[in-house]
Amino acid sequence: MSQRTERRGIHVDQSDLLCKKGCGYYGNAAWQGLCSKCWREEYQRVRQKQIQDDWALAEKLQREEEAAYASSHGVQTQSHSQASTPQQQPGHASLGPFSKFEEKKTNEKTRKVTTVKKFFSPSSRTASKKEAQEGRTPSPSISRHASFESDQVSKDFVDFLKNLQKPGRDIHKQCRAFIVTMSGKKELSAEELSECVQDFYQNMADRLMSHFKGSSESVEQVMDQVEKYIMTRLYKSVFCPETTDDEKKDLATQNRIRALHWVTIQMLCVSMDEEIPEVSENVVKAITDVIEMDSKRVPRDKLACITRCSKHIFSAIRITKNEPASADDFLPALIYIVLKANPPRIQSNIQYITRFCNPSRLMTGEDGYYFTNLCCAVAFIEKLDAQSLNLSTEEFERYMSGQASPRYSSSEGDWPSSGSGPATATNPVLAQLNHNLELLSGLSDRQETLMEAAQSLQADLLSWPETVQREVHNILEKYPLEIVPCTVSAIDANNMDNENLPPPLTPQVFAG
Amino acid sequence: MSAMRVDAKVVMLGKESVGKTSLVERYVHHRFLVGPYQNTIGAAFVAKPIQVGEKVITLGIWDTAGSERYEAMSRIYYRGARAAIVCYDLTDSSSFQRARFWVKELQNCEEHCKIYLCGTKNDLVEGDRSLRQIDYHDAQDFAEEIGAQHFETSSKTGNNVDELFQKVAEDYNSTAFQYMTAEETGVDLGQKKDSYFYSCCHNN
Repeated sequence: MSQRTERRGIHVDQSDLLCKKGCGYYGNAAWQGLCSKCWREEYQRVRQKQIQDDWALAEKLQREEEAAYASSHGVQTQSHSQASTPQQQPGHASLGPFSKFEEKKTNEKTRKVTTVKKFFSPSSRTASKKEAQEGRTPSPSISRHASFESDQVSKDFVDFLKNLQKPGRDIHKQCRAFIVTMSGKKELSAEELSECVQDFYQNMADRLMSHFKGSSESVEQVMDQVEKYIMTRLYKSVFCPETTDDEKKDLATQNRIRALHWVTIQMLCVSMDEEIPEVSENVVKAITDVIEMDSKRVPRDKLACITRCSKHIFSAIRITKNEPASADDFLPALIYIVLKANPPRIQSNIQYITRFCNPSRLMTGEDGYYFTNLCCAVAFIEKLDAQSLNLSTEEFERYMSGQASPRYSSSEGDWPSSGSGPATATNPVLAQLNHNLELLSGLSDRQETLMEAAQSLQADLLSWPETVQREVHNILEKYPLEIVPCTVSAIDANNMDNENLPPPLTPQVFAG
Repeated sequence: MSAMRVDAKVVMLGKESVGKTSLVERYVHHRFLVGPYQNTIGAAFVAKPIQVGEKVITLGIWDTAGSERYEAMSRIYYRGARAAIVCYDLTDSSSFQRARFWVKELQNCEEHCKIYLCGTKNDLVEGDRSLRQIDYHDAQDFAEEIGAQHFETSSKTGNNVDELFQKVAEDYNSTAFQYMTAEETGVDLGQKKDSYFYSCCHNN
């Protein structure tokens, strides 16, 4: 790294315009003084190496993580990174991947700040241009960070703020400062963390409001980006923190949903007919969306997953009922989807969204509506009892303990015959299964016929030459070949019959 | 496609099939739908801008599930609501009992939430007076007792529907100044909704 800065310094100072490799073309500072062609070659090579290094680093991290986890539970990642740094030789050309990584991290931090500052300062236009170019340079060693995601989001955030000119710099500075402060507050409870973040949103929104002179639309735009940036960076430390019992609740809910596997669509009075292919397609999509929520980091993205899930449910209900769904149809359907999906870490996700989402979104907007419904669905599942499914207490107990299954009892008649008979099972999956089985057995029938035909063809082919041979043989026997001795006679070789010829034809022999 | 922020949350409460959804449908799309129809995916949430004087107030109208099964969860729904339209069916006395339940809940849990009592299916009653099970004056007395506004509406004819929502928006606008603290200013920010979605779904 130090080498790199040195080089760059020299080139900028001497303004050596030719390619550093001496190929005769002009070089460019953004390409570290190389021409485009040489840079590409160089870049490819460095990048290859980078990828290999990253692999090594990832593996190493993984090993350390495991080791640390085994020895002491709950050691912060940062502390092992520091512990392992001294093992390496910092500053050396053949750096171990880890110290390199550390260095990069700090380097990038400082660089990014200056980049943004310079870029926004109108006085040094040329300088800022250069800086910006460097910032954008796909230099392999600069753009690496703790994770691809937070790296990407930082970049996006900076790009977004560039359009805002001067205030963008302030916003960025504040956000960075806030993230640093937050990372120092690890001992706070989740509620206190939430308060910090909400206060930050509040202050930021107030400032923006005064800057944009009340144009709430611009404020919203910026706030969305701020939320995205901050929450992506803070996600690891504030999602399902150890100070709360979120994880315990997650497990409890997960087990609860598993125990309720027997709940049918009829018990919940859901107006969705999964035998309609379009409906079941929407159901599958809804399930996928609600599961996908866990993979998002930004509260707003998580909300978007819930909204998408809900839209699919609405479509499913509309197709089934042929009229628009009301909340009376929607909530049971959502409960059913949650039961089917058993979304991972659902409680943690709900808590996370509640704590760290921009509050107005949760309270009033469309996303908020669907989120509230999801909360209701989860609450319903937690409290679900015999009464809420219109079952007797005994029935409920029997189903819960696994002694009976409503599906067996409802489709008992079809059950034994479903293998051979027509697919009349109530469960659409079973129906599909039966359908597939039928198709398969039809296929195997046809294959058998085909095999038979093929075999008879083979037999025919085998016997054909024999038949031909036999026929030929027969014919040969019937008409044996008789070779009639042929008397070859040369003209005038013997004139035995000459005497019998009438006189005019008598050959006359001339001598001479 | 412009982003739409929602100023106030309005919840619809009421027993199943009292016509909450129809009421919203009539108000937002000016129609009463009978039988199967296409092109709408549901009216559970609607953002509706309303002209009040020189200002435009956007109401976020939340439909809720009215079944008794979900009674325990209804509190989650009306949390933070600025107005609640408690519906009852003029031809069904049990629905009025349920309305009383919600009014009590709201009074206990959401003091900032204004209550609007709304008797639905007025057209049925006008067609045949014997169908009426809830006396207008009884409901009016109850409304006065709880400090609520009282309306009798018909989603079929559209009678009183616009007036109801207009009143909700006006009341919100006049009380908004009282509650407009620093906190509220913050709450309104970052709100990004598009109603385009709804309009595009309904207009094609």
